[in-house]
Parts: sequence; C-alpha cells; structure tokens
Amino acid sequence: MIWRLLPFRSLDAAENMAIDEALFRECQPGQTPPTLRFYAWLNPAVTFGYFQDPASDIDLEACERCRIDVVRRPTGGKAVLHEHDLAYALVAADIHPSFTPDILGTYRIINGCLARGLALFGLEAAMCPDKRPSIDERLGASCFSSLSRFDLLAGARKLCGSAQVRAHGVFLQHGSILLNFDPERTAVLMGKHYRQEGGQAESLQASVTSLYEQLGRDVDYESLRQALVRGFELKLGVRLREGDLSPAEERRKNQLLRHKYRNERWNREGGSAGRRAPDLISDSGSGRGC
Amino acid sequence: MKVFPDDLLYSREHIWIRVEGELATMGITDYAQEKLGEILSIEFSEVDSYVERDEPFGTIESSKAVVELISPIAGEIISVNEDITDDIGIVNSDPHDTGWMIVIAIEDPEELDDLLDAKGYRDFVLHEVEGD
Repeated sequence: MIWRLLPFRSLDAAENMAIDEALFRECQPGQTPPTLRFYAWLNPAVTFGYFQDPASDIDLEACERCRIDVVRRPTGGKAVLHEHDLAYALVAADIHPSFTPDILGTYRIINGCLARGLALFGLEAAMCPDKRPSIDERLGASCFSSLSRFDLLAGARKLCGSAQVRAHGVFLQHGSILLNFDPERTAVLMGKHYRQEGGQAESLQASVTSLYEQLGRDVDYESLRQALVRGFELKLGVRLREGDLSPAEERRKNQLLRHKYRNERWNREGGSAGRRAPDLISDSGSGRGC
Repeated sequence: MKVFPDDLLYSREHIWIRVEGELATMGITDYAQEKLGEILSIEFSEVDSYVERDEPFGTIESSKAVVELISPIAGEIISVNEDITDDIGIVNSDPHDTGWMIVIAIEDPEELDDLLDAKGYRDFVLHEVEGD
C-alpha cells in the first residue's frame, strides 16, 4: 500500500495549519491515499485548540513581546508552544483499512507508529494507559500539562501531544514531539497568574520531557523524520512515497490562509468569525518571530 | 446499550432528524455521543443563517477530538438549543431528547429520502463497529 509523504518544511504557524486543514478538506475517502507530513516552525509559535479562548488562556501580551505567532488550530485540545519540536500531521479516511472509525483507536495506531519510529531512533516511548488531569490547574490551558490515553511518554513523562478533527469520514491528527522543552517559557505564556515562585515551571519540568533530555544529545530534524517515517512503514506495512500538494490542496491552503489562519479575527474569535470570514479577508497575520 | 429510537431518521454522519411538518429537529445520535466521549464544548451556526446539505451546522469538541456536525438536509436555522450552553452534559446524557441541537426549516423534503430509518442506521453502526 502506497501513502503520500510530503516534504519536510519549516513554515510559519499559519501556513502549517493551513496545509494541515487543506489536506483534511480535500481528502476524498476511497480516492486520496493517507498523507503524512513532518514539519517545523519558521518562527516560535503558540497554537491553541479550536475551542480555546486565547484571551483567557494565553498571555497574548507576552507572546507579542516575544514575537511569538499565535494561531488557532483546526483541531481540539490545548495550547502548545512550538519552538523546539518536530510536528507531524496525518490525514486519512476513517474507513481506511489501516485505521479504525473509533477516535481513540486512531490515536493508538498513529502513536504506535511514532513509538516504533522513536525506538528506531534509540528511545523507548510508552503509551499512557489512561487519561490524567492537569498537573496544575493554573496550567490547564497547556497541552503538555495533562495526559490523554495513548499519549507518548518517555520515562513516565509526556513527550508528544496530539489532537484530531473529524468530518465527512476523514480525520486529521497532528501533534508535536518535543526535541527540547522550556518549562519556564511555557509557564509564562500559558500559565494563568504566573509567578516565578509559583511552582508552575517546576510542575511542568516534572511531568514533561524531551528527546534532548532522554537521549542526552541534540537531535536533527532529518534523522528523526527518517526514523519516524520508517516507524509508520514497519508498523503498518505501508510504503511512503514523496509527493507534493495537489493543485486543489494548494488552492485550498491559500483560501484558508486568507480566511482563517492569517485572519487575526478568526484566530482570536474562532468559529463564528470563520463563518463570516469571506468579507473579512486579511493578510495582516500575527507577529513575526525572531 | 445503544439506543435507536424508531421515530427518528438518521444520517451516516451520525445525526438524527425528527421531522414535524416543515421543520426538522437535529442532534447527534446516542452512538455518536458514546463514540465521542465527554462533550466539552459546542458551537452552532447562528439562528436565521442558512445551512447547506452536507455542510456543518456546528462543531463539537469532546475530550478526544473536534468533530463537525454535518447537516444531511438544507434549510434555514430556526432555533438552536440554548439549554446546551447551560448544561452541556445533556448531549451525553439525553442526546435524542433534551440534548437536541438545532431546528431547521426543510427546504427540499426529497432530501429526507436519503436518510436511514432506525433499522438501517443500526445496521450501519454495527457494520462500522465490526470494522473497528
């Protein structure tokens, strides 16, 4: 079975989200093969869940001060600081024989592939057996402060957070694998009422880990990506063949950039602004990073 | 034990429809709420807006995923269930009754012909479960 593998690229958060959603919107069950991509971030960014309120969950002033892009995701879940991570996205029909229509089953399968890839890279990761609440309610807006079933753990600490969106028999699951982790910066940007002596950074440090910490060395994107791709191939018995966005996906990506991900109002207000978006086209975008 | 009331029609996107004259009330099925798990957030298109067939009339978030609510028929949204905003738990606890979501004015009654009855939906769901 042949899947499509998009080339690795470092793009800004708006374009990364627009590509993921374009793949999701243009996927035709029974026609489009599953598509996998790995990507990084041109600028530091915070992406937050579709239903989150950035005004209450994220320190937007701090993000602006630090030149961190702030973009709403098409998927659920909580906020993630993207700075030293490798992201992945997988789009497929939920009736595809490699997956199950069951939401949790999809997490189990995809995270199992990532775990296989990490093992090839020299790290044994385990899947979290159950859901666990946020380690600190002041950090409840942060994805890495809580655990969901099948989240990837290394040394019993969270290494990878993932989220999904589903419609029309298609799912998008994307997520973030931490190459390095800065608990202080995460706590500052997402901790409500953050205080240096408040212990939020220490709580995150105790419950989150990174490849750097686990392996004791810097990790380059390409070697990690190759191991993860191989993990999918071995776990599911598929071949991943390099391909590009189709013209329809490219068009959809550009529409989504204009109407949603570079539209500050959509990023701040979410769904209702998105449905009104055609008359709100804006390329103002969010702040550029360092 | 999943529930499939006989007086409803069903879409393959797991939406139930209760037809009363020219109006159709919709919500998610018991099977869908079970599959989603605990519902955390929900948003609907605005009252008086128009929803196309096979287009979303809202979005729902559970602890596991964001899922679009796909309307199986076209029409103008007449009302949305504001009670869900006060107690979102009713979508999980009573999806076919107090957990209803929107009412739309049916534009083309022939679109209802493509929907499943309770037996057809039960078979569809069993097939999906067996494929898990």
